[in-house]
Amino acid sequence: MLIGLDVGGTYTDAVLIDHGEVIEKIKIPTKPEGLLESLLSALDPLLQAAGGREIQRIVLSTTLITNLIATNTVDPVALVLIPGPGLNPGSYKFKATQSYILSGAIDYRGREIEPLKENEIKACLEAIKKEGIKRVAIVGKFSQRNNSHEQAVASYFASHAPELQIIMGHQVTGRLNFPRRAVTTLLTLATREKFENFYKQVLQVLKERGITAPLYILKADGGTLPFTQSLTKPVETIFSGPAASTLGVLALTPKGQTSVVLDIGGTTTDLALILSGKPLLASRGAKINNDYTQVRAFATKSVALGGDSILCVKNNSLEILPQREGPAYCLGGPQPTPTDAMRVAALTEIGDERRAYECMKRLGADLNLSPKETADLVLKQMVKKIAQEIDDMFLSWEQEPAYRIWEILQKQKIRPQNVVGIGGAAPAVLPLLGEEMGCRALAPPHAEVANAIGAALAKVNLRLSFHFDTERNFYFIEENGVQEKLPIPILSEDQAKDFCFTRLRQEGQKLGISSDEELELVYSEVFNMVRGWRTTGKLYDICVQFPTGIMENWLEERKDQCAE
Amino acid sequence: MPNKTGLVFFPAFDWAITPTHPEREERLLYTRDQLFEEGIMDLPEVVEYKPRLATYKDIARVHFCVPDIKAQVTEAHLIAAGGALVLADALMKKEIDNGFALVRPPGHHSMRVVHGNRGFCNIHNEAIMIEYLRKHYGLKKIAIVDTDVHHGDGTQDVYWHDPDVLFISFHQDGRTLYPGSGFADELGGPTAFGTTINIPLLPHTTDEGIHYVLDNLVLPILEDFQPDLIVNSAGQDNHYTDPLANMRFTAHGYALLNEKLKPDLAVLEGGYAIETALPYVNTGIILAMAGLDYSCVREPDYRPENFKESPEHMDYIKDLIAYLHEVWKNREALAEQRQRRTGGYYERRRTVYYDTDNIREQQEEKVKLCAKCPGYQVIRSRGLYPTRTERTVLAVALPWQACSECQEEARSVYQEYINNPRGLDFVYLQDKPRDTYLQYSVSGRSEMQL
Repeated sequence: MLIGLDVGGTYTDAVLIDHGEVIEKIKIPTKPEGLLESLLSALDPLLQAAGGREIQRIVLSTTLITNLIATNTVDPVALVLIPGPGLNPGSYKFKATQSYILSGAIDYRGREIEPLKENEIKACLEAIKKEGIKRVAIVGKFSQRNNSHEQAVASYFASHAPELQIIMGHQVTGRLNFPRRAVTTLLTLATREKFENFYKQVLQVLKERGITAPLYILKADGGTLPFTQSLTKPVETIFSGPAASTLGVLALTPKGQTSVVLDIGGTTTDLALILSGKPLLASRGAKINNDYTQVRAFATKSVALGGDSILCVKNNSLEILPQREGPAYCLGGPQPTPTDAMRVAALTEIGDERRAYECMKRLGADLNLSPKETADLVLKQMVKKIAQEIDDMFLSWEQEPAYRIWEILQKQKIRPQNVVGIGGAAPAVLPLLGEEMGCRALAPPHAEVANAIGAALAKVNLRLSFHFDTERNFYFIEENGVQEKLPIPILSEDQAKDFCFTRLRQEGQKLGISSDEELELVYSEVFNMVRGWRTTGKLYDICVQFPTGIMENWLEERKDQCAE
Repeated sequence: MPNKTGLVFFPAFDWAITPTHPEREERLLYTRDQLFEEGIMDLPEVVEYKPRLATYKDIARVHFCVPDIKAQVTEAHLIAAGGALVLADALMKKEIDNGFALVRPPGHHSMRVVHGNRGFCNIHNEAIMIEYLRKHYGLKKIAIVDTDVHHGDGTQDVYWHDPDVLFISFHQDGRTLYPGSGFADELGGPTAFGTTINIPLLPHTTDEGIHYVLDNLVLPILEDFQPDLIVNSAGQDNHYTDPLANMRFTAHGYALLNEKLKPDLAVLEGGYAIETALPYVNTGIILAMAGLDYSCVREPDYRPENFKESPEHMDYIKDLIAYLHEVWKNREALAEQRQRRTGGYYERRRTVYYDTDNIREQQEEKVKLCAKCPGYQVIRSRGLYPTRTERTVLAVALPWQACSECQEEARSVYQEYINNPRGLDFVYLQDKPRDTYLQYSVSGRSEMQL
């Protein structure tokens, strides 16, 4: 049996799944007292329903990190940068408690082009101590190609101030993008301790309940990770809520199709895309609290339009305003809303019908429309707006930069086969939306807990991006900061790929990924290094992964149910 | 509101002339690493655009391709040219304040008639972009400043007879570097005299010398010409580490140049110091165009004091500038003195060598000298190929500005050659006033229209 739990901002959802079937589902408002209480209120009824049968794993998705960052209750961190040539480092506006800039530079091939200055390192440490900051993030430009500068500064700090908690940029992420690496490293260290505390509390309460099932946590890229492994990079668990919903839709819709995930809430409509069965990722990483990071996350879009958006008439035309002033009029709120229109159009049975009519009548008076006509107009406008936003989302995916001929030629215009509704108001407008967009409208069973289902069924994923430099005889792994001499000479692309796959299997084993899980080659590129008309080496960029997805047995067992 | 700089980055990581050729996959690899690591694309001042494919018609507005466009361009060429077009559109729609197409393959050695690849170029990205802007947005006066170390002989050829396009090229002089042209006395055809300005510089000219040229000649002439659009044909091989040339220009020099020049659109041309120059030069240019501080962009071995000019070089430069100033000021009178400008025809003959593809081309060009307009041109071109085969084509070029008599005359010239195509393989008409491009195949007896 599998348990999925998603402690969201408004609701906490949970499901118990057995052999492809949802045995029990829970939806309760998230408790203001804390995540742990909400988690337990949802978990306990499931444990009861399980009735002592074996639970294989529990997957948790929480807003812990989101909350810490949004409420700025992260821990103070000093940021030490080694930027080298390029942008003026004075222009960076990182949200560190204090920032320091050191001399020294590494280039794109990982060669030192300017040494560190020891007196600067010393002065920097003194300044940090004076400020009383206990956590230090050290981030160098191109440190993923050569971490010796980060290491040197870190070891100086560690030996002269052993009380400091130190993190280095190359340990967190090796993707090219120094400012994003700095932000991601900073957030990692600033949230690590509180995350660890939460982790200990969760373990404690599970222990009290005698649960021995392994605990996993869901990441923003839709993969799960054993809880213990997430301690090093807690920031990856941000935005796991939208990821959970998208995975839920993936589990509840036919395999391999292109779908829009539509979650219409009170204030916003949240969109995500599944392209031929693969959730679309934000191309360079998630934006957190207005900062760009390298956290891999699904590409989601939040539109300020929901069931409680305010309706008004301006200059003889109907407008849906982006704000909310309370619940719908039919639920005792102050203003007419799309929810009232749905009530009048007989698409829902929520709220007081009389009040819904009343506010539609008032709204329609200026337009010379009957309440029913007004409601239809509201819904038509709402659906048009959502369809436009979906179209824009596909368009910006099409417009994502590409750097190779084949990518530019291959990216064809794709439009969704399904629009899949989850969340409160979605089912009411789905059919209209499907009609507007010319695709199928799906409101799958259990859609209201799709997020918890997504969490329960998400697979452990793992991506490793290798960079080989055969001239320098080095290889690098972006995700875990490995920088090593090549143990064997790499003479061909196939050999390099084999090397990557072997390594992926080894790393996968550490996460408990079974050896018969499917491996995937994400990309493989070879560049000849030519100096003076002679090839002196090769650069290989190869990325391999255990992909994000839904547990196979669920899909197998649901085959009949999903059959079209 | 911050400045918005549009950027198309198309490194064509899957395209090369040959695996070890300077124009190979690896060329913009380290530039990519530097730009991505800097986080350039995340800057609020930078908007990244995806390139599109230019159409054959976009190309036919500039070139006569032999035997046809398909034979001369690959998809990479279409995307490189299309990248420039995307930025041109964005600029005209005011989405951006300026734009840099960091694309390859390059184009500034491509002339109007194209028998093959020369100087690593098949089609001319800037010219395709400019003719597109003239057609779709009605721009009239354009200035192109070629900052590549090689003479932009393709650009010169395309705009030799166009008085509304000012072409200024500074470069290592033609006695010491490919393509062996671009001397100070190459000043444009009789109907466009003085709107081609060549500034051949001595090998080892530095930041100081080049900026002296910019401040004292290029910028004043631009100010005087008042173009609707300034294009930087942005080669990067004046750099002191470039393996194919001998100049001593720096990343800082290039950035400062773009800050002063303020190009509306820049398009990458050459530059083959792929590790020691390109990552720094490109970062510098982008920051300068975006109005950001580029003072921290520097090569590892950069020392400002190494880039001062020798007195001998400065004397040469000052003398050259004085001469070109005189020419610019008196271009009308000089044009009259040199050559009859109306009535009858002007003719010239020349040979063009295609280094990459080892083709020789013999060209005879005839220009109608009209009192009302820049006239039209008839080009007879014979390409001698390394396979010992040859093709001869006749091309009629009818510019945007052509008067109605010249238009009719040019169209009938084309008709006459179609009716009597002796010795020809193809006949072309580039009819810009109608935006119609015709190619007649003599052996196939068929006409193709774009």
